This record gives sequence, C-alpha cells and structure tokens, in this order.
Amino acid sequence: MKGSELVIKALIDKGVRYVFGYTGGAIMPVFDEMEKQKAFSFIMSRHEQGAAFMAQGVSRASLSTANPQVGVCMATSGPGAMNLVTGIADAGMDSVPLVAITGQVPTGVIATDAFQESDVVGVMMPLTKQTYMPLSVETIEESIHEAFLVATVGRGGPVLVDIPKDVQNQESADGYRFDPVAFDPSLAGVLHSPHPDRDAIRRAVALINRSERPIILCGHGIIAADAGEVMKWFAEKANLPVAFTLHGLSAFPVDHPLSLGMVGMHGTVESNRALLNADLIISLGMRFDDRVTGNLATFAATADVIHVEIDPSEIDKNVKTSVAINASVSGALHQLIKNPELISKPRRLWFESIEHFRGEITEEIQEEILSGVGKEGQLLMKTIVSKLSDVTGGRDIIVADVGQHQMILARFYNFQTPNSWFTSGGAGTMGCALPMAIGVKLVRPDERVWSVSGDGGFQMNIQELGSVMEHEVDIKILLFNNGYLGMVRQWQTLFYDGRFAGTPMKNPDFGKIAAAYGIPYRQVSEVAAIEDAISEAAEHRGAFMVEFLCDPSEVVLPMVPAGGGIADMITSLKK
Amino acid sequence: MTVEEPIKRRAILIFVLNRPGVLNKISMLIRRKMYNVETITACRTHRPGISRMTLTLFENSDDKMQQVIKQIEKVAEVLSAKELDVDGSFWREVAIIKLEADEASIEDLGRRFNFQILDRCNHELFIVQVAGTSKFVDDFVQAVGEEKIIETARSGFTAMEK
Repeated sequence: MKGSELVIKALIDKGVRYVFGYTGGAIMPVFDEMEKQKAFSFIMSRHEQGAAFMAQGVSRASLSTANPQVGVCMATSGPGAMNLVTGIADAGMDSVPLVAITGQVPTGVIATDAFQESDVVGVMMPLTKQTYMPLSVETIEESIHEAFLVATVGRGGPVLVDIPKDVQNQESADGYRFDPVAFDPSLAGVLHSPHPDRDAIRRAVALINRSERPIILCGHGIIAADAGEVMKWFAEKANLPVAFTLHGLSAFPVDHPLSLGMVGMHGTVESNRALLNADLIISLGMRFDDRVTGNLATFAATADVIHVEIDPSEIDKNVKTSVAINASVSGALHQLIKNPELISKPRRLWFESIEHFRGEITEEIQEEILSGVGKEGQLLMKTIVSKLSDVTGGRDIIVADVGQHQMILARFYNFQTPNSWFTSGGAGTMGCALPMAIGVKLVRPDERVWSVSGDGGFQMNIQELGSVMEHEVDIKILLFNNGYLGMVRQWQTLFYDGRFAGTPMKNPDFGKIAAAYGIPYRQVSEVAAIEDAISEAAEHRGAFMVEFLCDPSEVVLPMVPAGGGIADMITSLKK
Repeated sequence: MTVEEPIKRRAILIFVLNRPGVLNKISMLIRRKMYNVETITACRTHRPGISRMTLTLFENSDDKMQQVIKQIEKVAEVLSAKELDVDGSFWREVAIIKLEADEASIEDLGRRFNFQILDRCNHELFIVQVAGTSKFVDDFVQAVGEEKIIETARSGFTAMEK
C-alpha cells in the first residue's frame, strides 16, 4: 500500500469522522487518497488557523457525547503548516487533544530551504506533546496511532505528524503488516493517569471535615473527565460551595445553590471574596493560572490547599499544596465520595457570609442590565447576554471569542448543559469562536450553537464564513460590535489615562458581508429589539447572524487588576 | 564536589529514550525556564535504546529544583529524572590540556598529580589527560599556572550514586 493510503487507513482505524484542512503541494497525495476513499467528512477551511480551531471544536465538544473524538487538522508544508501554529499552541495551553498532519518536502531536500519547506517539527516541538516525522512508509501507521494515544492520555494536548511527500508516495514492503488492535506502544516516558493515593485521599478528607470555610475550585479537568455530575454529588454530600475557572464553567448548572460562579480576574464578587476568606481550597483539575489567582504572593495566604491534578508538574508549580492528589479528577472524586469518614457540616456562618457577598453589587448590576444602554447610548453587552440566557434558558451551547464579551458571557450566561461553553482561555486567541463553533456544531448537531465575537476577533477568522456557507453549518453568529478592541480599551481607560492606542477601528458593513456569504442578517441597536432578534436567530433553520451595536464605554466588573491580588478586586467604578 | 560557590551546585540524573530531539527538548526547557545550567553530559547505557544524561546547574531553591525535575519528567522521551545526592555520589570529569612545560616541571607535576601524557612536542609542549574530581582538575590547572596553559577541553561532569 502507498503511504497516503496508510495515512487514511490509520485515520479510519482511529474512528476519525471529520478532517479539517487546506491542501497544497506537499500534502496532495494524502488529499488524493482522501478524495478516492471518501471515508470521512473533509471540511475545507479558508485558512489553516480556521482548520485548527474547527478541529479543536470537535475535540472539546465531543468529550461529553457518546462518541468522544479527537479533532484532526491537515495542512501542506511551509506556510500551510506555519498557519497551524497558533491553533496548536492554543490547544496546548487549554489541554485540548488534537492531531495535526502536515505534508513536508521530500526527504531528499529536507533542510535545504526547498520550496514551501519549513522546520515544522522544530517549530512545533515546544508547543506539542509530541512530534512525529515518519521517514519510511512502514512507520506511518504506528506514528499516527501513537499520536492519537499521546494526544489523549493523561492531560490532553496537540500532537503533530509531519509526513514527507516521498514517504506519502512510497509503497510499503511486501511483508509489511500493522495490527491496529495489537498495537500497544510502551509510551515509557509519557505520564498517564495514576490512581489516587489512598493516604492522600484520607488526609484530604480530614482537611475537608475540619474546614469551616471551604471552597471548591472547579477547573477544566472536570470538563475533560466529564465529571461534573460526580463533582456536584461531592459538593452536595459534604456541603461545599463551588467556584469555576473560565474553563470549568458548565460543569454543572451555574445557578445551583452551591455555585459561586466564575472566580478570578473577572469573576463574581462572591467567588473572589469567598476565595479570599477560605480556610480550605479544594482545587479540582485546574492549574492556578494567574487569571484565577492574581498576585501569587497574596494568594491562599491563610488557606490549606488540596490539589487534584492529573499533570504532576502542575502540582506545587504556582501554589504550595497541603495535600496533592495526582490523579484524574473523576477517580479522585469517587474515592472522596466513597470515603466513610467524609462528613457534612452546615457551616452556617460561611454560607451566610457568602449570601452577603452575593448581594454586594447585585442592585447596581441589575440596574445596568435593565437600562440596557451605556453612557454613549448604545447597547450593553450584559443586557444582551442576560436576554440570550433567558431566551435559551441557559441550555444552549456558547462559543465565545476573546475579550469583554467573553467575560460577560462567562458572568451572565446561566449555563445549564454540561460541557456547553467553549472559548480560548489559556492562550486567549482572538478569532477562535467562528471556526471553533463550526467544529462544535458538527459533533453536537441536535443542540443550538451560538458563536459570539467582538468586532475585532470576528474579523480575524472572518474568512471561515465561507466554510459556514459551503457546509450549511447551522450556527447562530452574534457580533458584539463596539468599534473597539473592548478589553484593551477597558485597560486603557483604567490604567493608561484613557489613551486608546491601537484599539479603535473602522468597520465594514457586516450586513453586506453576511449577504455575500448568503447568511441571513439582522442589526440591532435598540434594547426593545434584542429579545426578538435573538428569538428570530434561534428559531431560524440554518445559519443566522445578528450584529449588536454595543457601547464602547461598558466596563467589565468585577476586575482584579493585573499584578494585584484578589483583595484588590475592583467591584464598582462608582466608589 | 568541593568548589566553593555562592549558589549551590546541584545535579540531576536523567534516563531518556535515545530518540532524535531529546537533547533539543531538554535544552528548550533550560532556555525557556532560564535554568542556570553549568554542564550537560550524555552517554549510552548498557540497556539498548536508553541513554543517560547528567545535568549540573546552580540553584539554591529546593522548590525550584522540584519544578525543574518535574518539567524534565514531563518530556515524553524522559523515563526518569531525579536529583543526585551530591555527597552520596561520585562525580568525575576528564580534561585534555595543552600546556607549555619542560621535563623538570612535568616531572614535578607528575609527583603531585596523577595524569597521562598523550603527546609531547619538542619537550616544550605537552598534551595531557587529567581525570578526577572537579577540584582535582582545578587544582592541576592552578598548579600549572594560567600563563602556561594553551588550551583546555573539559568534558563536564558525569556522576553515579554510591
């Protein structure tokens, strides 16, 4: 069999249903084979970065379905591969399993600066869990099979397979056999999920039992392990309030009585105050990212820390732990729940103070939401999101780009459905939403998917409207247009004397662009029309775009300023 | 292991799968995390496909050392990484030194140090092999005198636990 046939065979054996990509000279043999066999759906993006994010959407969104898949993106050599870099780096930062396959110039001309050659392996090495360059046709299948394994084992992440063109065209030797079922690479050096240590579990239970002011920090690990239900049982069993990191949101309903909402830089008042006053922090599948902790010097100064984490290098990296449990959260949670010594305490004082925190700025926020307009007379994003949450009952899937709107969605959307929130967190890559939403919709076809972007991020991968059009992807595209890079503008307002350097921009007529792509479009500038527009988009069968003219002066609060600790949280500009 | 330094010198012993790119990955970690690395040596082991790397670095913080080791272990090709107990292990290096000397001074050096003459040229230029602890090599270099040394090639440390 030819190398290109073996590539397709390996992908079929791994149960791949979708491949996103962009062809080119060095990957043509594989594309040709893909076309011949038509074994899975190939979606052509309009930029390789789009393909990488589409693949991410598949990986992230299928986690909670009956058929979890690893997203696959494919590009040619040189600039094609280089255009995958950001999407792959992003997957690494958010621990999303991903397999990227790139064509490479023939082995004979590697490292000679051949046409469209780039040192993909070298470039991707720091960004991926592993890179492979099969140099003979007989190593293609094992490279791809191992790539899938490495991408998904332990802490998920991206893996690259770079295949020289002559190897794609090579015929395998007569005696070549590969048995995908029997293939079991030792992966000797790759860390995988150990079982939770019994003694650590016991010590954790002891700490929990003793604690009067505990808080759970629910991170991406819970989503990745599909352990939201288990965590909810655990929280209910031991009576523990739960705060979510950006990626932990939607692990269980965010309006649950024990939920404190999102924590960190733009987290809720109650979650940050609770975190500050806690005597025990139970962190589940999160890595104490600086957006959550603020200044580390003042973080968890008076609290014990239990850290359940699958990647041992994250334990004690940023925050010193009292009890570390190196395991997948689902295994650890089961052990914690089953432990006969785990008790529940009413912790009345703690919950009373939490209720007090909850009420701190509620009135102010409600006033804003009800008014619906900001200082410059345009729509407030928090009003739009509140109405979106009401119309959809919090049950739909939200894919957010990066910026103020992302924080506002995290804050005001009432997530009900497990694993229904997707965004670029660790890397914060603008332009992620539109392509990611495409991948998400493909693996969650019966659910409604909203892709929400600001005017900046939307234009970064705007070309993927082409993919939406061509494959008739039913995503609801919401554009929060305030004519600025909103989040940066906010920082410039607060910390740079309101000098808007590189943030304002002149935008095109997005309606004409939507029309060019055959996507029904509506523009909203009045509060009264918000709900109607959202309902129209929701009920429309097929893609629909709504542009909201938003107020640039809206500020996302609370905010923990960069370099500040959680105690420096700004809750209101009125004070 | 007796060179007096203000910052502690520490050593990490790493067993790796002998695959292309391993050295690159370890170097990348060092660069990115800005570890203060002094020497890296690598060699094959008696087990096929497995190599051994000895890394020495300057680091006072025990926490940071733990971090270094965990990050190294995260690399897919690394089988194990651990800190070597400085006092509980043997440390050796080899130096090849080209120096100016005459018969008399070589004889004198030979009485005080154990070394091997690899080459001599006109009874004025010698190339010698010195092996031993780092202090031993340093002492030899000092005894010869900087002005007499033409070139030094030191191998860096390798170490083994007792």
